[in-house]
Amino acid sequence: MQSLKKNLKHYRLSEKEYEKIVTCLGRAPKGVEWAIFSALWSEHCSYKSSKVHLKKFYSKNERVKESFGENAGVIDLGDEESVAFKMESHNHPSFISPHQGAATGVGGILRDIFTMGARPIALGNYLCFGEATEKHMPHIVDGVVRGIADYGNCVGVPMVTGQTEFHKSYNQNVLVNAFALGYFGPEQKVCTSGAHGVGNLVVYVGAKTGRDGVHGASMASESFDDDSESKKPTIQIGDPFYEKLLIESCLEVMKHNLVEAIQDMGAAGLTSSAFEMSAKGQVGVSMHLDKVPLRDSSLTPEEILLSESQERMLLICRPENLDQLKKIFHHWSLDAEVVGEVLPTPNVDLYWDNKIICSLDPSAIVDSAPIYNRAYEPWEFKNKVTDLTKLHVEDPENTFKNILKSLMGAEKSWIYNQYDQRVGAATARDCSESVGVVVLPSKRALGIVLGCRPYLMRMDASIGGMDAVFHPSLQLALKGFTALAVTDCLNFGNPEKSNIMSEFVASVEGMSEACEAIDAPVISGNVSFYNETKTTNITSTPSTGVVGLKSSLNNIPTDQFKSSGELIYLLKLDQVKTLGAACEVLNRAPQFKGELDVKVINEWLGFIRKTVQEVPISSSKAVGKFGLAYSIFRMTSEGIGAQIKLPVGFEANDLFNETLYQAIVTISPSEKQSLETMLNNINLKNFTYHFVGETGGDDFKIEGLIDLKLKDLKNKYSNSWGKNFETLA
Amino acid sequence: MKRVGVVRFLGTNCDRDVFKAIEQVGHTPEWLWYEDSFEVSKYEALVIPGGFSYGDYLRSGALAAKAPVMNSVSEAAKKGVPILGICNGFQILCEAGLLPGVLIKNEGLRFIDQWVKLNLQTPLKSWGGSEIDKCEIPIAHGDGCYFLEPESLKKVMDQDQIWMTYDKNPNGSVADIAGVTNKNKNVAGLMPHPERAMWDWMGSSSGTNFFEFI
Repeated sequence: MQSLKKNLKHYRLSEKEYEKIVTCLGRAPKGVEWAIFSALWSEHCSYKSSKVHLKKFYSKNERVKESFGENAGVIDLGDEESVAFKMESHNHPSFISPHQGAATGVGGILRDIFTMGARPIALGNYLCFGEATEKHMPHIVDGVVRGIADYGNCVGVPMVTGQTEFHKSYNQNVLVNAFALGYFGPEQKVCTSGAHGVGNLVVYVGAKTGRDGVHGASMASESFDDDSESKKPTIQIGDPFYEKLLIESCLEVMKHNLVEAIQDMGAAGLTSSAFEMSAKGQVGVSMHLDKVPLRDSSLTPEEILLSESQERMLLICRPENLDQLKKIFHHWSLDAEVVGEVLPTPNVDLYWDNKIICSLDPSAIVDSAPIYNRAYEPWEFKNKVTDLTKLHVEDPENTFKNILKSLMGAEKSWIYNQYDQRVGAATARDCSESVGVVVLPSKRALGIVLGCRPYLMRMDASIGGMDAVFHPSLQLALKGFTALAVTDCLNFGNPEKSNIMSEFVASVEGMSEACEAIDAPVISGNVSFYNETKTTNITSTPSTGVVGLKSSLNNIPTDQFKSSGELIYLLKLDQVKTLGAACEVLNRAPQFKGELDVKVINEWLGFIRKTVQEVPISSSKAVGKFGLAYSIFRMTSEGIGAQIKLPVGFEANDLFNETLYQAIVTISPSEKQSLETMLNNINLKNFTYHFVGETGGDDFKIEGLIDLKLKDLKNKYSNSWGKNFETLA
Repeated sequence: MKRVGVVRFLGTNCDRDVFKAIEQVGHTPEWLWYEDSFEVSKYEALVIPGGFSYGDYLRSGALAAKAPVMNSVSEAAKKGVPILGICNGFQILCEAGLLPGVLIKNEGLRFIDQWVKLNLQTPLKSWGGSEIDKCEIPIAHGDGCYFLEPESLKKVMDQDQIWMTYDKNPNGSVADIAGVTNKNKNVAGLMPHPERAMWDWMGSSSGTNFFEFI
């Protein structure tokens, strides 16, 4: 009994799960079977707490070529072009070892993309950190940013967009979510992972296996405690140079049709790759663990199975193609070792020194994996009010300065200037803009935006979930892009707590409703539960990556004012009024009024897109965190000021309140008529537009409320980062 | 239309961008692989693109400088073939002794990605001649701080070997140096990336001159 308890703890399995294993096998597990069940039934690999709800996602339309079944989702862009993309979390490793944790997060998401046969052409990063005053935070921020930079810059995939959030709920559990997108040209096929063809060979390629990352998957499925430091050996070590070689060699063998199926070794390493390839293909495979190339010859079979050493792939190839395949890998200085073959029986047979040490039917394990419908409550909108409390801004100038001083309001270029944003020579808009834009070989433009505003999630998980789709879609529409599909990374606390599970369900349903309304399916994603340290849970953070397409490179408005004397318009679809992010700087409780009408939002997005495509808008920006004043200020970054006169009925609060949804556009005076004609044709409930002022001057002026020198504000904005993080300036 | 060899090492990652840039301006790029020597007379110019050859292990450029292909590159340098090293390519040419000086970690010890304005100091016969003064192109490097001992710097200055300088020094390079050339003025190295400034939509098209006038 004592040893059973010890095993359950070591392999992070519950007693109920143990009973299920016994039923599944018809006996008690032994040897490496423990490790296999531990890995495959971990939250990270099995999605046991989320599966029930993930099925609800709007996930298919005629564009979707792959969704959820494979390593990444794929959509068809027409003109014989496709893209694969996905987002993934590396939260736990990044807290324990910021540099390596973040770096291998980038490596892992890239492998998910090129495993599909696509060349990675864009990266994005969504980061949530704690307060700057928290003891280890400067070290963590520094390590995470360096880790992402070291890996992404070296493999040569440009970072084109990102989002960074700060809040005390991330003090003990930061979030590091990496997004990657890959491109398929006319001749490139989508590769899949199902093993097939009895007698075909199982080939191991890439870096040698070491002891790093053993039990990584089950570690990532656990809450943190005081012992987190001791989990360091479960962190993987990345080598971007190897990854670069792996990208080039894998794409080359795929191009020559030498690969029948391929799967990267990610969470739970060789175990999950072998079992997934076998289960998907409905065939068995044999694997001789003693033939796996090792960095350390003392590794045990169990460690080999569970190692999460990076930059490794498992692939299936026909015996007659082996020589050519090996030649290509050798050209790129990589090893390719035959470790087994495809069997007619359904079992995965593992050998050590030609002796069978384990024979399991993967479908039985996958099919009998526990699925939990964790307890949750119907969503109650408990911060919804009929009359919004006023923010009571007495001194708007001072409030505005305080926002710029806060970490959330600070300029973030310290982060993205460390990322190579232009390798690949296809970046049309970099991280300094709200939409990252990459130019495709067909000369069409691809727009990428990451979403989820944690302060809205703290206000309401249902609205926050919808907003994680709508806000990026509005940002895309304002540049003339149509949102096509979505990936997500659902970062939540402990699912065994019903308040967390309730937020999970409410936000997933909200996201799905929004996706369906704009016909942009969720095609890939990842769930990260147990973001909890000593019973404190993070803000529920369902981050998203939304990808949009524009048929040409012409007329993409910039975020910044480009010339003086232009007319500034505020476009407003007044559905939900909130106190916004300002309430957190001013220490007010979050509140909102109203609800989101997804159908109306979709129509509005269509009108905005059409306006941007047909009228020469010079600059555009969605009104985001901290409301109108902050958003207009962000547009002055090239030194062109703003002279604003708020329309009748607006007051100081309206500079900081946030309304879902609002946008700013500017246009040259000669196009005034064409813009207003377009806007007059928008006949939607609660839609209004207002002329609010002109660009120009060297001050930032909102009549009667704010009148400050742009130069001073700019200094405050750009120095704010260094003042918050003195050691990182 | 000139035939231009583009040298690839394991870990080079701007190779395809440079290849595309050369094609765009109407020349004919051809791949050269790090393990192979090549016939020097076949090429009218050579480019060593940027990236992270050998993952920057040991020192950036140090391992690539010893690769077999560099024997042919050295031979070409001696014969007067125009050679351009960009970013990691510049580091490799310094490590191979074909250009003076070394590139060390940026002053702030961080990787920097940003646009810079460059001033032309010594026009070369190739790589844009005098058309590239005041051009704006991006940098993206961690080891971009150019360094020379004072005596060597004086010698390099006296021999007009400073090719381009930064208008605003981003990385602590001695004498604001962004690019240098050898004594014969046929081998040149540049930290910024002209291949990333080939179209207005990239932010600038002033990089085209570097490849057009080879």
